[in-house]
Amino acid sequence: MSTDALAGLKVLDLSWVVAGPLIGRTLADFGATVVRVESSVRVETARLMQPFHGGVQDKEGSALFGNCNAGKLGLTLDLKSEEGQQVVRDLVAWADVVVESFSPGQLRKWGLDYETLCAGKPDLVMLSTSIAGQHGPWSTLAGFGNVGSSLSGFQHLVGYEDRLPMGTFGPYTDYVGPRLALVTLLAALENRRRTGEGAYIDVSQVEAGIYFLSPQVAQFGYDGTIAERQGNRDQQYTPHGVFGCRQVAGKDRFVAVVARDTAEWRALAKAMSRPDLADRADLATVEGRRAAQDEIESAVAAWTSGLAATEVERVLQSAGVPAHLAVTSDDYPADSQLAHRGHLVELPHPRHGTTWVEGPRYALSDTPGRPRGAAPTLGQHNEMVLTEILGYDAERVAVLTEGGILR
Amino acid sequence: MLEHLRVLDLTDERGLLCGRLLADLGADVVQVEPAGGSTARQAPPVAEGAAPSSMYWEAFAAGKRGAAFDLDDPQEVARLRLLADAADIVVTSWPRPRLEALGLDPATLRADRPGLVYTVVSAFGWDGPKASYADTDLVVWAAGGPLAPHRDGDLPPLRISVPQAFLHAAADAAAGTMIAVLARGATGRGQVVDVSAQEAVGVATLARVLATAVGDDHPEWQTTPGKRTGGRTDQSGSGAATPNSLKKWHCRDGMVELHLSMGPAAGTFTNNLFAWLRDEGAVEEPVASWDWRVVPDRLVSGELSHDDLDVARAAVRAFLLTRTKAEVLDAAIRRRLLCMAIFDMADIAASPHLEERGFWGHVDVGSTDVKLPGRMAQVRGPEGPRVRGRAPLVGEHTDVVLKEWLR
Repeated sequence: MSTDALAGLKVLDLSWVVAGPLIGRTLADFGATVVRVESSVRVETARLMQPFHGGVQDKEGSALFGNCNAGKLGLTLDLKSEEGQQVVRDLVAWADVVVESFSPGQLRKWGLDYETLCAGKPDLVMLSTSIAGQHGPWSTLAGFGNVGSSLSGFQHLVGYEDRLPMGTFGPYTDYVGPRLALVTLLAALENRRRTGEGAYIDVSQVEAGIYFLSPQVAQFGYDGTIAERQGNRDQQYTPHGVFGCRQVAGKDRFVAVVARDTAEWRALAKAMSRPDLADRADLATVEGRRAAQDEIESAVAAWTSGLAATEVERVLQSAGVPAHLAVTSDDYPADSQLAHRGHLVELPHPRHGTTWVEGPRYALSDTPGRPRGAAPTLGQHNEMVLTEILGYDAERVAVLTEGGILR
Repeated sequence: MLEHLRVLDLTDERGLLCGRLLADLGADVVQVEPAGGSTARQAPPVAEGAAPSSMYWEAFAAGKRGAAFDLDDPQEVARLRLLADAADIVVTSWPRPRLEALGLDPATLRADRPGLVYTVVSAFGWDGPKASYADTDLVVWAAGGPLAPHRDGDLPPLRISVPQAFLHAAADAAAGTMIAVLARGATGRGQVVDVSAQEAVGVATLARVLATAVGDDHPEWQTTPGKRTGGRTDQSGSGAATPNSLKKWHCRDGMVELHLSMGPAAGTFTNNLFAWLRDEGAVEEPVASWDWRVVPDRLVSGELSHDDLDVARAAVRAFLLTRTKAEVLDAAIRRRLLCMAIFDMADIAASPHLEERGFWGHVDVGSTDVKLPGRMAQVRGPEGPRVRGRAPLVGEHTDVVLKEWLR
């Protein structure tokens, strides 16, 4: 019996960079066959983005591209050509699902939009992901990462109160959009399984981002409060911060420390050998601690500065106080919990010998997911996709090759 | 799309969003709370009013039905177990020891119900060396990778000012649940879906967590840039290698994100910006006629200096102070600028784009009508996701759910 949850599911992935490709990545992990179409002429942005194998910028070396596309079959195609578009139509006829992230309206110009494609295929499930959605006044916005995080409110909500807003690390809505997209897509597949009905799904990264700020949106609607940045402080817990620790090999190290209640605060103060703070009556309530926030944070920082971050984590966790080293790329492969779950997965790679990607973020006990292989190199599966999946004969493949269509 | 699914929701604030997503998609989601109410009812932001109200609860329990049980009373716990027996899906983020003490853990509930899908959301996973760590959102953000690289100069790394880590995990939980539901459609078997929030947030590092694993040790790629990069110019469109302070600008009613991009790929966008300034008489020659596509070359040749760049910046700074966020956004669309208004909650609530797309749902919080993000995606074909109603009162539907589910 198959142990793949999505065995037999066929996916055409016309998306690029991060927000779109991550959707197909999960489908591939759980057993779907995913054909990823790209151009070797207009090389997709993620292939040009760090980190790179060996630190060398190369379009076959991006770990970001590798992480977003592991387990997919790679086909290079000139989508501007009529012949290339015909290949796409044939792939649509094969596929159950199409995912795309072109600028809204682009596919219509090529006659590859949902209305056209679903005409002969009413059970087609198609998903478009874009910065602001397929229609509406913002739909023509030129997209780059910061647009989504600016318009969804995140740029405003990162930073220290007395400094400029910092914005998020990278294009934050690219991390949110594909999660909500995937839930909707899977629900559409469940509906299709039961009813045979297809669906068209329009995902806006801005809207997905705002969805993750629903509580702050609701608060504005309820009493007009506009959420503001507050460094690492929190509205519920004090102390709540990130503190410098002893440098290791010349590198800064930090630890996150939180006390969720007064018992944890006292345990923290005792671990810091500060019984004076543990016993202070004015610090026995969260309101009291908030009033003394600067003093408390200075005391924690003074204590952590002489210790290794891992030591702070160990001491505080054994006292039941939430704390964790701020994990860097150097720490990540060695983290005991991630290793226990096998989160980093080593895969053979034609160019690099082996490569590493993140595994699925959820362990399914009966039908576990796993990356089936490294992300494709440019055009790696052209022959296989055209002959085995589409059944083209050698002559037809040769015509496409010689016509410069498979680029 | 999921009207046929019954979900027993045993989450606290950590997993609350998962059930909201499934409810949006049509599932019958019953949020279980202890008799005294869920701890999520204290999760910030809490609006002060006649009765203090958690906007986190109101947003992410919206559309669920509510049932309350005295978990110290074995008879009440037995009734809760009967509900679990009638559910297709159980989702929880309660601590493992508590679930096991109540006999509501996956092994116990699945013993006689092999078709049950049981989803667990936790900080680090169901088991492993850190499974019993004390956790908070910040601790997960530190442990999973997004915290460490996000530095504002030499200050400690920054989180986003509102909790996010468990939202990523809870959204992943909804996707993992749906994959298990689809597998059940094929096999008839349920399974356990074990979601780790630590793993969920790795994607929010843009693959930085993989840098060391693939042998990339470029330190400047590990952190947000804090300083001017000597003689080199950042030729990206996003300004990824440009310090934050050079990308934030004050406008008449707030702030704008803008990188003066230069070089062959992205210089056109800055040409478009200066065309706007020229049209408004806000910049003088020779700066007005610079071709930003060749500015890097002219800097290298010594024809232009960084002092000249400061003259250009001063013109932009003075001009933007005369424009509103809405005007900047409008110009960005019409003139193709990589220039973006930094929106806060008031801007988002007033957006004509979101209004036109029907993004908002309306729910009652107390007697106040509050606007919530209502659609995680827009669907054509089957009925798409939308917020189904307000969050339940404690135990509001206990009796009717018992009657309906145990019929």
